[in-house]
Amino acid sequence: MSTDTASVELVGEETVENVARAALFAALTGAFAYVSFPNPLSPAPVSLQVLGVFLAGILLGPVWGGLSMGLYLLTGAVGAPVFSGGSAGGAVVHGGLRIRNPAERSLVRLVGAMVVGTGVIYAFGVVGMSLVLDMTLEEAFFAGAVAFIPAEAFKIAAAVGIVRSDQIAAQ
Amino acid sequence: MTLSYRPGDSLAHRLDPRTKLAFQVAFAVAAFAHTNPRGLLALSLVPLGALRASGVSVRKSLREYRFVFPFLMAGPVVAAVTLGPPWVRVDAGVETAMASYRVVLVLLVSAAYLRTTPVRDSRAAIQHLVPGKVGRLLGTGVGFVFRFLPVLQADLRRIREASAARLGDERGLVARMRLVGIAGLSRALSRADRFALGLRARCFAWNPTLPRLSFSRGDLPVLAASLALLGWAFV
Repeated sequence: MSTDTASVELVGEETVENVARAALFAALTGAFAYVSFPNPLSPAPVSLQVLGVFLAGILLGPVWGGLSMGLYLLTGAVGAPVFSGGSAGGAVVHGGLRIRNPAERSLVRLVGAMVVGTGVIYAFGVVGMSLVLDMTLEEAFFAGAVAFIPAEAFKIAAAVGIVRSDQIAAQ
Repeated sequence: MTLSYRPGDSLAHRLDPRTKLAFQVAFAVAAFAHTNPRGLLALSLVPLGALRASGVSVRKSLREYRFVFPFLMAGPVVAAVTLGPPWVRVDAGVETAMASYRVVLVLLVSAAYLRTTPVRDSRAAIQHLVPGKVGRLLGTGVGFVFRFLPVLQADLRRIREASAARLGDERGLVARMRLVGIAGLSRALSRADRFALGLRARCFAWNPTLPRLSFSRGDLPVLAASLALLGWAFV
């Protein structure tokens, strides 16, 4: 790449803030992938990765949430160890399902959007796994998804609590 | 994240990042096209060579990717087990086991890339490949994510330790997730605000000066090898 000697084209203030937030949410999702709790319902531990996807979608919106998850996937593709499993692919689409001003929206819509998002994430994960590991869709579902789905309910509950907490609302 | 760039003078360090990306892609395509015992045996030599050329030990890289192994090992078992006689179909299991093995090979090659490519070179390569402002946003963003991933991991670790010290780990699952989520999120948000301020203070621009990427003579054999792998994949 050649040196740009033309005048510097500054990035606008609002865009800078959004880029910073998108990058931080992508990093947070990657860091959440390493946080795991023992699961009371199944032997597979619960990681918080999907919670990061939920929060990015809810708090950043379709454009910047989508960019944030795009960054997350791209960083993983370039090689950073940010994925905990095969179920990362649906994140970008989920960004489109977001709700603005989450505190004002009804619980039904918030939870509904996250349930749809979970479905999308797992659909991509299962299809991806069946392609990569040469399995049928059913086999991939049993190997990669079934043990994790019950835990998603906990994450949705936690996400609602987080989004509605006073500490986050103040920011 | 111990598997990150280390300065060095190995063969792979001197290659252009675009060459290395092309090689990675070509290797993945070849691995997917030739998932049979002979093909995989031949392909196994490639990651060994790549890791050797970049001065990374195989064992260390495998340890870095340990979190994918449960998935890769569950795959063959689930594929082999069937409901009803004959209960275990060995051939299906073997096929999926080979598919799992090729994923490991691809991961090892990307370990070699990670260790030998500085983030800003990856960024420059991304901006070369994706033109316009989108490419610039993606390029800079990937750099930021790399920068903040270990920071936020440390944040979350501290939050969990503090919570455990106050018997937080005896609370219910949702309460614990909420606790870690709220604290982690508010730290990430305040870091984002400070970071945005810092970026503005340093004239964050659409057209910064990036490291100059240039192909050298050393890139030729690797590019040729990439082409050969691609050609072999489509034969």
